[in-house]
Amino acid sequence: MAGFLNRAVPVALLLLAGAPMAWAQAPASEEARAIEFGKEIFKTKARCQFCHKWDGTGDQGYGGNALSLRKTQLSREQLTEVVKCGRLSTEMPYHDKFGYTDKRCFGVTREQAGADMPPEANQYLQASEIAAVTQYVFARIVGKGETTYAECVDFWGKDTQQCEPLKP
Amino acid sequence: MLKTHLTGAVAAALLISAAAIPAYAADMTFERALNADKEPQNWLLHHKNYQAHRYSQLKDINADTVKNLKIVQLLALGGIMSGGRYEHGNLEATPLVEDGIMYATDGWGAVYAIDLTSGRKAVIKWKMDPGIDRAWAGDVACCGVNNRGAALWKDKVISISLDGRIFAINKTTGEVVWERKIAEPAVGETITAAPLVIRDMAITGSAGGEFGIRGWIDATDLNTGKQAWRTFTIPGKGEPGNETWKDGKDRWKHGGASVWVTGTYDSSIDTFYQGIGNAGPDYDPEYRPGDNKWAASVLALSPVDGKIKWGFQYTPNDPYDFDEIGEHPIIDISVNGAPRKLVTHAARNGFHYSLDAVNGSFVAGKQYVDKLTWSKGLDPKTGKPLEYDPALDVQPYVANSHATRARPKSDIKCPPTSGGKNWQPGAYSPDLQTKFVTTIEGCNQLEMKEQADFNDQGGAVKPRERFTGGSGFYPEPIYGALKAIDPVTGETKANTKLTYPNWSGVLATAGGIVFTGHMDGELTAYDSKTLKEVWSFNLGCGIMAPPITYAINGKQYVAVLSGPHWLRPKPVALKDTSPCSMLNIFSL
Repeated sequence: MAGFLNRAVPVALLLLAGAPMAWAQAPASEEARAIEFGKEIFKTKARCQFCHKWDGTGDQGYGGNALSLRKTQLSREQLTEVVKCGRLSTEMPYHDKFGYTDKRCFGVTREQAGADMPPEANQYLQASEIAAVTQYVFARIVGKGETTYAECVDFWGKDTQQCEPLKP
Repeated sequence: MLKTHLTGAVAAALLISAAAIPAYAADMTFERALNADKEPQNWLLHHKNYQAHRYSQLKDINADTVKNLKIVQLLALGGIMSGGRYEHGNLEATPLVEDGIMYATDGWGAVYAIDLTSGRKAVIKWKMDPGIDRAWAGDVACCGVNNRGAALWKDKVISISLDGRIFAINKTTGEVVWERKIAEPAVGETITAAPLVIRDMAITGSAGGEFGIRGWIDATDLNTGKQAWRTFTIPGKGEPGNETWKDGKDRWKHGGASVWVTGTYDSSIDTFYQGIGNAGPDYDPEYRPGDNKWAASVLALSPVDGKIKWGFQYTPNDPYDFDEIGEHPIIDISVNGAPRKLVTHAARNGFHYSLDAVNGSFVAGKQYVDKLTWSKGLDPKTGKPLEYDPALDVQPYVANSHATRARPKSDIKCPPTSGGKNWQPGAYSPDLQTKFVTTIEGCNQLEMKEQADFNDQGGAVKPRERFTGGSGFYPEPIYGALKAIDPVTGETKANTKLTYPNWSGVLATAGGIVFTGHMDGELTAYDSKTLKEVWSFNLGCGIMAPPITYAINGKQYVAVLSGPHWLRPKPVALKDTSPCSMLNIFSL
C-alpha cells in the first residue's frame, strides 16, 4: 500500500503539471466517468469517429460527408437531438430505435419522412448513452481549436503510432 | 520431410474416387503451384489455381448427395478486436489446405495452422499473431479490417498484415523466420491481398486508394526477404501513361490506383494480371482531368521484373469509384473456331470483359448486372464505354450519372459504388465453360465535395486523411445475384436473385454444384446448370468469405469462414446481428 502511495502521488502531480489549461480543474469523478463512457461510445459503439474522425474535425468518404464537430454551432440540446434523430436528407444516422415510430423526431414517422428518412445507426443507443456521448463531444471536441497531441493521446493512448504525426 | 509426392492423373483419379490417401508433407514448389489442379485433395493457391478458376474436380459432394451435407467441424478463431475506425476485424480469407492442414487468416493478420486430419475436431497447431498497432493501421483502412489469405512457399507460409508487412513463417512451428515492411501506413498504405507467389517471388500491392496514395505492385524475393522490384500503377513523369494526368499539378502523385486482390498468372507467357483500383479522389474527377492511367484497369506484367506488358482501362477518368481490383480469370477457349487465351473480368462497372491475354486487345464485353445506367454500352471495337471521348479531359458518360462541381449530387445511378462485382471472387467451370459470379445489384447516388489539395502540393490535406472528393450513399436497398456467364461473350446464361448483396464469392465443383455464402449466414449450394438451390444451411453469422473444398483421407469437405464485415449499408433485416469469427466445415 505504501508503495502504491509513493507512486501515486508523483504521478498525480505530474498529471496536474502536464495537464492542458482546460483540464486544470479536474472534473468531478462522476463527470469524468461519464465523459470516458461517452468516449467509448464515440469511438466504438456508435463509431461517430468513422465519419467525423476521432478528433471531430469532420471527414468525407465511405462514411458520408460529415461536418466538423469542433466548429459546430449546435447547442447541447440540438446535438442530442441530432444523435437521437439523425439529420433528415443526410447520411447522419438516427440512434433512437423508436425515433420515427411515435413522431418524437421532428414530429414525423418513418412513412412521413419518406425519402428524407436518415439511415439507421449500426447500433442504437439508450438515452443514457446518447447523453454520455453528447457530454463527451461538448467536453472534449466542440469549440476546440487545432487538434493537439494531448487530445490524441487521450483518445488513442500512447501505445500506438497514431499520435506521432501530432507530436510537438 | 518427404520430398516426393503423388502428382498427376494417378493421384487425381484416386482422390476423385474418394480412395484413401495417406497424408504427406512436401515443400510447396513452383511445379506444384503450376499443377495445383492435379492435387484436388488440396487447396494450394489463393484462387485454387493460378488461373483463378476456384473449381474443384472433387465430386463426392454433388447434386445428388449434397442433401446429406452436414456440419462436422467448428472452430472459433479470433480477430474480432476493435482498432482505428472499426469496431471489429473481418473474416474475408480464402483458407489454404495442404495435406490435412489448413492455413487461415483473420482480419488483423493472425495466421492459424489448423490440423483437420481427425475429421472430427479442428485443432489449432499454431497461431502467428503479427501484433499490429491496430489504431494506427485501422485508421487508414477504407473498408474494414481485412486480410484475404496467405500463400505457401517451400516449407513456409507467407502472410501479410494490414500495417504493411509480409512474413515468412515456419510451416511446422509458426515461428516468423523473417518479416519485411512493404507498405507505409504513415502515408495511408495498407496491405490486404493474399500474396501471389510465382517461383521465389511474393507479389502483392498497396491498398489506400481513398487516402491519397500512389498505388504499386511489389515483389519480395522469398530467398532473401528483400524487395525484388516495385512497379507503380500510376506511371511517373516521362513514363507512358503519365500524360493521362493532364492537370499540370502532379495529381498522379496521389492518384490512387491501389491493389488489394490477388492477381492471376499464366506460365506459358510468363505473365500475371493485376486488377487496379479507382482513381483518387474518387468522386471529384475534375480534380484529376485525363484518363488517369492505370486506375480502374487491368495490367499484364512480367513477374521477373515487374515490367508492364500491356494495360486495359475499363473506366477512363473514373468518377464512380469503379475499383477494378477483382480477379481476372484466365480461360483457354475456342473463339469463332480458333483457340484463344483470354483474360476475363466481371467488372465493378457492371460490364463483363474478355481480353486477349497476350496483347490485351478487346475481344467482347457485355452488361452482366441487372441494371446499368452510367453508360449505354461498350464500343464493340475498343471496349471503351460508348460515351468515352478521348478528346475530353473529364468524361461525362450518361448525363448526371456522376457528380460534378457544377452539380454536386448525381442522379441515382446503377450499379452502385460497390459494384457489380467487388473483391468477392467468382469461379469458372472448364467442364461447362461457364463462369459463376456473385454480384451486388441495385443503384446508389454520389455526392461530390470539391477535393482540397495535398500538403505537398500547396494544400492542407495531410497524409492519412481521407482523399475521396465526396461520398456515395444508398437511397434504396441493394441486393445480390448469382449468375452463370459465358466467359467469351459475357452473356448471362442463368441468374438467381439473392436477398442480400454478395460478399462471399463462388466455389464451383465437378459435382455439378456451386457454393456461395450469404450475409445472413446461409451457405447454399446451387445446381451448376440451372442455379436452382439444392441445399442450404444457416451458420447463424454472416458469410463474407469464399467457400473452398478439399479432401482428407479420401473424404471431401467444404469449408468457409463466417464472421463480421464492415457493412454499409447494413441490411435492415440484419440490423441486430452480432459479429462472430468461425471456421465451419461440412462433409457427407
